[in-house]
Amino acid sequence: MPIDLQHDMKVPHRQSARARQDFVSSLRAYILNDMAAGMKSRYREAVEPRLSAQLGRPPATQDEVHAAMKGDLYFKFYSAVRYNAQEMVWRSVVPGIEASLPAMQAKAEALDGRAGGSLTLNPALELPANVTSVDVHLMPGVYAAPDTPAAGAVYDNGLAVFAAGFMGRDLNDIGMSMANYVRKRFPDFRPGNILDCGCTVGHNTLAWARTYPDATVHGIDVSSSVLRYAHARAGSLNIAAHFHQMDATHLAFPDASFDVVFSSMFLHELSVKDIKHFFAEAYRVLRPGGLLINMELPPNQSLEPYDQFYLDWDCYYNAEPFYRAFRDQDYAGLTKAGGFPADGFLQFTVPQYTYMDDDSFTEAVQRPPSIDGETGRLSATLQWFGFGAWKR
Amino acid sequence: MGLLPMEASGRRPAFFETPGMDQLLSMILELAAELSVVRERVFILEAVLERQGVTAADAIETYTPSAEESAALAQLRDDATANIFRTLNREHRPVTSEPL
Repeated sequence: MPIDLQHDMKVPHRQSARARQDFVSSLRAYILNDMAAGMKSRYREAVEPRLSAQLGRPPATQDEVHAAMKGDLYFKFYSAVRYNAQEMVWRSVVPGIEASLPAMQAKAEALDGRAGGSLTLNPALELPANVTSVDVHLMPGVYAAPDTPAAGAVYDNGLAVFAAGFMGRDLNDIGMSMANYVRKRFPDFRPGNILDCGCTVGHNTLAWARTYPDATVHGIDVSSSVLRYAHARAGSLNIAAHFHQMDATHLAFPDASFDVVFSSMFLHELSVKDIKHFFAEAYRVLRPGGLLINMELPPNQSLEPYDQFYLDWDCYYNAEPFYRAFRDQDYAGLTKAGGFPADGFLQFTVPQYTYMDDDSFTEAVQRPPSIDGETGRLSATLQWFGFGAWKR
Repeated sequence: MGLLPMEASGRRPAFFETPGMDQLLSMILELAAELSVVRERVFILEAVLERQGVTAADAIETYTPSAEESAALAQLRDDATANIFRTLNREHRPVTSEPL
């Protein structure tokens, strides 16, 4: 089921649109659980034995798996249905948002400055090609309408359908799980200034403010539209956060100004070159003793060829051009390239914080990371993956 | 309408070799969505009529299903989805034995 947005920036959708969202969300849950399991069985039982016989050895790369799966009818249906469902996510929310544009604009203005948050836009910022040349996630006109909160609304409403119930009631389970991992795993670490990079509508930014109520929380994104929405959304939830239109590869903050630099589902939208620039910037703006922490998909080198192929589906069919190139990297190497010490590297897996009680989560974060084909992918057995590094 | 785009830029991939197959699948999915929408509407209509008579249209527009009713609706959707994709389930006859 799509979740109902829990804040005042939500727009009314007609009943027929809500029913369509229900359908698409249930369809996505079916694809990600049932069809994904069926496709994996199909691979194990039919495709892999044939492929191994052809190669004279087990398949060694995801490209071999992908090439073989392309000829399989189950894969074609899985992919075509998933692709259509992705399109239908957006189609199910756009009409309601379109009908609410003036009301949304008025609400955003009324909420401006509430809760002590702020919005700092930079109209001179040149939007990077990774957001202007492709409609990422097949989201139509992803950064269109820069003077309105429209793109933020499409993203937020779309995510509520897309998440199919896997991202928490407030769509903030990733942020809550990451922030609480830090809180539980490093109880003596008390960050005062926290930065979320590539924050879109701030859904995970605010999780840090909830987890560390005494901290000052900032979020940056290149899109003014998602930031206008994020600012209003935070105001409506009465949480203070400071949003800035800024490129993560060129941060305008002074050296040593943050204790935490965070990102979620962000690195895979960047070229490897930009990730390295971002990490170097993160290193610069962190104080000694500060932490870079990224929620992401696990690295390909930790997965079987089939699971690599499964997760990289988005790169081939969901307008995510940098997804695989990122996942092919050695994540420790990336943080090292940004200036972080090798012994400062950390990686971990965590269960979903907002779906369990505090004690069970506390116990879970003490366990060593366990990365497999279930890690980081939306499914009923989801575990989030995170990595980063301490600045000494 | 028409202020916000409904479609992403770029070409849609073809997953099937047979011309029209990809479009046909989209049609089926849209049909499935339409059917689901209608089923949900009818479900709510019946619930509304049961509760308060015949002023259905406005009442439906503002109707929010209870947790129990939402669960029933979710079940309807899951049943429909299982039907639509029954040809992919291994316990049914395969559609084709396509060699690699």
